[in-house]
Amino acid sequence: MISLLVANSIIFANIIALMAISATLALSRTNVPNFAVATFGTIGIYISFTCIKLLGLGLYQSLIFCFIGGGIVGIIVYQLLIKPLRNRGATREEIMIATLGLDILLIALLNIYADYLTRNFKLMARDFTLSAYDFTVAGLSGAFIMSTITFITIMISLHLIFTRTSVGIAMKAIGEDPLLAECQGINTERLCVITWFIAGALPAVAGGFIPIYWISNPNISLYIVVSVFASCVLGGFTTIYDAALGGYIIGISQTLFISHLADIVGSWILSYGFFIALLIMIITVFTFPRGLYGLPWNRIIERLRIQFYRGGEG
Amino acid sequence: MISIPGIEFFTTLIFYIIIFLIITLSYNLAYGYSGIPDFGRAMAAGAGGFLCGYLPGRLMAYILGIRGDYLSNVYVIVDKVNMTLESNPPLSMGLLILTLILGACAGGLIGLLASLPILRGMRIFYLGVTLLAFQVGFNTIMYHYRPILRGELGVPIPDPFRWLMHYRILGLSPGITRSFGLIAAAGIVLLIIAYYCISVGRSPLGRVLKAIRDDEVAAATLGRDIRRIYIKVMVVSYAITGIAGALYAFYQGYVVGLHFDKIDWTFWPIAMVILGGLANNRGTFLGTITFIVLRRLIIFYKSDLEFILPFSPIWLESLLLGVILILLLIYRPRGLLPERPEIPLSREEIEGIRRKVGA
Repeated sequence: MISLLVANSIIFANIIALMAISATLALSRTNVPNFAVATFGTIGIYISFTCIKLLGLGLYQSLIFCFIGGGIVGIIVYQLLIKPLRNRGATREEIMIATLGLDILLIALLNIYADYLTRNFKLMARDFTLSAYDFTVAGLSGAFIMSTITFITIMISLHLIFTRTSVGIAMKAIGEDPLLAECQGINTERLCVITWFIAGALPAVAGGFIPIYWISNPNISLYIVVSVFASCVLGGFTTIYDAALGGYIIGISQTLFISHLADIVGSWILSYGFFIALLIMIITVFTFPRGLYGLPWNRIIERLRIQFYRGGEG
Repeated sequence: MISIPGIEFFTTLIFYIIIFLIITLSYNLAYGYSGIPDFGRAMAAGAGGFLCGYLPGRLMAYILGIRGDYLSNVYVIVDKVNMTLESNPPLSMGLLILTLILGACAGGLIGLLASLPILRGMRIFYLGVTLLAFQVGFNTIMYHYRPILRGELGVPIPDPFRWLMHYRILGLSPGITRSFGLIAAAGIVLLIIAYYCISVGRSPLGRVLKAIRDDEVAAATLGRDIRRIYIKVMVVSYAITGIAGALYAFYQGYVVGLHFDKIDWTFWPIAMVILGGLANNRGTFLGTITFIVLRRLIIFYKSDLEFILPFSPIWLESLLLGVILILLLIYRPRGLLPERPEIPLSREEIEGIRRKVGA
């Protein structure tokens, strides 16, 4: 069977990939670099915590609430922050600073909420895990199975939405050129709201998985955000498939590689876990700044095919 | 019962205002004038501050002939160094100036490294992302890697102002006298920096920077090497911030890898510059002083606020920072004092030239 380490790294990769898809969607479809994406995940953590502890729901039922709650947060952020900035004609740098401000604001609000839970309900709302609510099937943890199923379901449904439905195709058009899309009679406003619903819901669902195997607190996003952005940069900030691939590469290498390295050089290296992500990001930026998306795949496949045939002949 | 701030409150306030003015002036140079979305400012301050924890103590130990492992006996060694510095004011001042210069060099070096992505022709948005990530990495190394600053424990810093404690001005306590010394030193630095930044803003160089910010391509067609100018601005601006970081470390007398975090040293300066007005040094002064006074008052009245607010006042600062940044960017993106068009020659001079040409 799959070892615990591999299972954990795949859980982590699923989480990172979902967040990377959200950040990539926000940037490529609505032209907003969303730095608060990891904190949307923390919102998911606290929605699931509230559902389990206060409403008595199960771990995986609460994911539905994470999805809806995160989506609503996404819409609120769009209506109250992004739309006014856009209407004013803000530059991309200004929107970047605004989402950084949003990140700080959300972290403060989550801290206040955690205080509130601790004071009024006598709950341990900081540094908790929810692993006790998880189940195991045939030696596999529920988090592994459920996060993989969730990830695959979301990937398939996003793929279908973006290729088969008119809404998805219209979204693509908005990403390419908003003005031209509007000329074609597309309701840009409504589609931006839908995009931000997805961009808020995905990280919140991913956040629902975080407390199952990590010790969570309101400030945990600081440790995730580097990995998320490294995956986006590696993916190239263009399509959801590259973002997911980038998330998988970063998530798995960060967990697997660092724990193998810890066996060799000692456990002190574990504190530097996200340096793998940072390193991959730096290499990406300096060698192929357009990411996986920008690589000349046709030429690479062609060359590989030639190599393969030559190998076959010789 | 509301407590009334004492003299210590005001010395701290003035010192913070000076330190953050140095940082915001240099940030204005990078973001306001040149338009570089620089989210790694805390690294520059950290470079100066951490250098302060690394170098002066070791240097003095070497000069005094103290051998043995520096970090494991750091308290004893710094105590000895402090005693020497106390009896030798010129040496103290020499050490201070040397450290500030080296702090500037360290900041400049970080600026050079941070601007390497620009050299690769990177999109300006990626620069923001990478600088944010670099900054998290930099602080993590400083906090976990023991051979530099003892990791989580931190190191004390030799105090170049201890000799001031022998003088009693107006019967004030020795600690306050020392603060006055620090304020004087930081004030001199601020004067130099402010003179530099304001004259850059008025000079042809300032207009070149604004031109690049407004339209890169247009400035490039006029023969300016855009990337080189970006890198120069980053290096100079980071070097200035490095000095501020070193001064702050001397003020604290102690440095840990957790100091110089991104909220205090990157995002607050951004909010200050935006409040005051981009590319307007007068506005930068206004914004910095407003926010520092606000923050110091919040810290001072924390225990009183506990009863008024429905939540713990620890979160008030970051709550305010987030709300202020968002509201400023939505409603007042150009700040309280918006940038004014730069007119290099006065109207009379232009008229005079016109008359001379005879047109």
